[in-house]
Amino acid sequence: MSSGNDILDMYLYETGGLLEQLEETVLQAERAGGFSQEDINEIFRIMHTVKGSSAMMELEKPAEVAHRIEDLFFILRENSLTQEQQEHLAALYELVFRGIDYFRGELERLAHAAPLTDNIDGILNSINALAQALSGEKENQKGCENEKNITDEAMTAGSTAGEETVCKDHPCRLLVHFDEGCGMEHLRAYMLVDAIRDFCSEGSFSFVPSDVEFNPASAETVIEKGFLMGFADAKSRDKAISVVKAAGSVHSYELQGDVPTPENKPVKDAAAEASAANGPKAEPNAQQNQAEVNHKESLISVSLDKLDQLSAIVGEIVIAESMLISSAELQGVRMDTFSKNARQLRKLTAELQDISMSLRMVPVANTFQKMNRIVRDMSKKLGKQAQLVLEGSDTEVDKTIVDSIGDPIMHMIRNSMDHGIEDSPQIRQALGKDPVGTVKLSAEDTGSEVIITVSDDGRGVDSEKVLQKAIQSGLASADGEYSRKDILNFLLMPGFSTNSTVTEFSGRGVGMDVVKQSVEDLGGSVSIASEEGMGMTTTIRIPLTMAIMDGMELSVGDSIFTIPISYIRQSMKVEEADILLDSGGGEMIKLHDRYYPLIRAKELFGIPKGADAISDGILIWLESGDISYCLFADRLLGEQQIVIKPLPPYLNSFDIKDWGIMGCSILGDGNISIILDAANLYAAAGKN
Amino acid sequence: MNTENDRIPGAVTEASTSVTRKYLIFISDGLKLAIDAEHVVEIISQFSITFLPKTPDYIKGVFNMRGSIIPVMDLSLRMGKAQSTAATLLLVIKYRGTQIGLLVDSVDQMAELDDSRLLPPISPASQPFVSAMCAIPDGSGTMLVLDCERLLSRE
Repeated sequence: MSSGNDILDMYLYETGGLLEQLEETVLQAERAGGFSQEDINEIFRIMHTVKGSSAMMELEKPAEVAHRIEDLFFILRENSLTQEQQEHLAALYELVFRGIDYFRGELERLAHAAPLTDNIDGILNSINALAQALSGEKENQKGCENEKNITDEAMTAGSTAGEETVCKDHPCRLLVHFDEGCGMEHLRAYMLVDAIRDFCSEGSFSFVPSDVEFNPASAETVIEKGFLMGFADAKSRDKAISVVKAAGSVHSYELQGDVPTPENKPVKDAAAEASAANGPKAEPNAQQNQAEVNHKESLISVSLDKLDQLSAIVGEIVIAESMLISSAELQGVRMDTFSKNARQLRKLTAELQDISMSLRMVPVANTFQKMNRIVRDMSKKLGKQAQLVLEGSDTEVDKTIVDSIGDPIMHMIRNSMDHGIEDSPQIRQALGKDPVGTVKLSAEDTGSEVIITVSDDGRGVDSEKVLQKAIQSGLASADGEYSRKDILNFLLMPGFSTNSTVTEFSGRGVGMDVVKQSVEDLGGSVSIASEEGMGMTTTIRIPLTMAIMDGMELSVGDSIFTIPISYIRQSMKVEEADILLDSGGGEMIKLHDRYYPLIRAKELFGIPKGADAISDGILIWLESGDISYCLFADRLLGEQQIVIKPLPPYLNSFDIKDWGIMGCSILGDGNISIILDAANLYAAAGKN
Repeated sequence: MNTENDRIPGAVTEASTSVTRKYLIFISDGLKLAIDAEHVVEIISQFSITFLPKTPDYIKGVFNMRGSIIPVMDLSLRMGKAQSTAATLLLVIKYRGTQIGLLVDSVDQMAELDDSRLLPPISPASQPFVSAMCAIPDGSGTMLVLDCERLLSRE
């Protein structure tokens, strides 16, 4: 989603995050049956930030939509809903979701430098209609207890900045002058306001000109008269001064109205009273803001590029360290201090490695949370009742994996909702099931792979129907015999869809094969299990192919290969007599009462030298997902921690990945070893 | 095929205004070949090549250049000749982001040449990887300019 523009990237990233937060808040509110005061404040705050940043990016239309939604929640915040207005809640949820989708669409367009939606009247009209319905007969209270009203008035009045002044409730004033000719004074002023909002609630301060956020013309006023802010008390103003001091291009600032004039006093008391009355409401808000400020400080966002660079360098250090320690000159020389220091270095580099890898790990929680929305929308549209159960949301996986599993998971959830869960609660009840269907999404980290499963308690897969369909689409032959497992595998083939009608959500005939493709791109595998009438479980397994892993080195002729330890089940020496032949001439071996195919690396890769007699070499029993076989090589050279280097792109054009070559690693002596991928190697041997 | 320039693909097409380039002249299988010095990264005499299975013959494998994995191409095999036994030098080039090591016999010299002196190759069909030819300024013979684009193409 990189656009090559730092400010835009930051906007896209931050706004995207806020929308996710917003969506979750609304989903929670919907489940709870209404907005709590905290929810409203939260939504108000989010929309306000979106409005501000959109305006800064000069995106008028998104800023306008955000502004209207903010208004809507302003009404809610000020007037709690009456009984008869509760009926508008459903419309309100829908509207906010619609708003979220609108913003997401716009962000997507921005990221791809496409023109934004021009006509936003539809959504604006809906918001206005709802706002009218909500505010109803209740008039907006006039007065200056909120900065918002000033803004609105000022905007309708066409900004006659000259007569404007800050609210009387805010006697502690601060006048800021910017450096002459620094430009964009109105936005500089707005940035101050934005920073001050972190610790001052909306109503507790005001500023003039009040339209700095939207009106570039206000820059003139700021240049001429300075930017005037008013605060309810001197404490807030002191904090504001530190903000002003920290801001750039500020020429000077002056304090005004320190000593309240007699006629000001009662007003101030009244304000104090008002704020006391507002106390319980305003307090948690302020605390929340404070907590958020602290939270922000302990987290930073770093570009993935930098993390990639870091991983690469750490990889180099690991190699350099092992090259240094295994230097030929050191062999057989006894040096106690050196050995001790080398051990210390090894320990430190191992730690450095762990940390640099953990930096790239993010929990799947965000991706999982997004599925709530899918289940909600689909339940509504399809008239089904279903709940989503999340398990293992805190499982951490590499950032690149998180980015690529979102779509596959979404496809799987949609499939479960569309094809799995029975059409109506009544049908489920008649079958003796809970009327509310359950879709379970879980993640698990086994140390060598991440397993993601989507399961539902719906009707399961009808083998007969699937087989019929497979025969129709030419994937299966009518007189063939297929096991249930074979039949389930048809579901993963391109162009297969059991649904005869194409629905809005799934059944386009793409879907599961797209899931399979994208998971395989990550080096993973997909499998389906289903019992008719009991539901279906789709399992994705993604190996943790991180930059650094444990590998077993083996030699074939002059070549050195590395196989990730996680694939290796066992290695053994066997005799010629243990090898069996199948009817096609393929070699097999019997292990623990089962037969496994034998693949000779020498033959598969056409390596000139190397052992031919089984008793001269070694068998390595490999397992990856459902695949299990034995690889024949000359010798095992030992276990080593390796850094995976991708193959040069030029070589990818020769499709060597399909031959089970997934990358290279540099050995301690500077030579290169080729990393093998158990699953692709098996597939390649099948083709051979 | 109207003008001379049209027949010179690759790096020298913008030769309408006279441009002077530096060329590295090297020897592969008895031929004097030249490459725009701009593309040359490094010349390496000590290297160990790791065989990479399932690649065409002319890809001899990969080698480790200070932590980067670089493919190695045998230039004479790539040009459809027999494997040169004298190929002992690795000429690492970088062309449009692709780094590759060319296995060549030896390096001859650097020459500075005006683009206008380049001539289209004789019988281009039989030598697809040559984009132009030119007399070497010191009079030591003729050089053939290598077409990196074609050399790295994935046909």
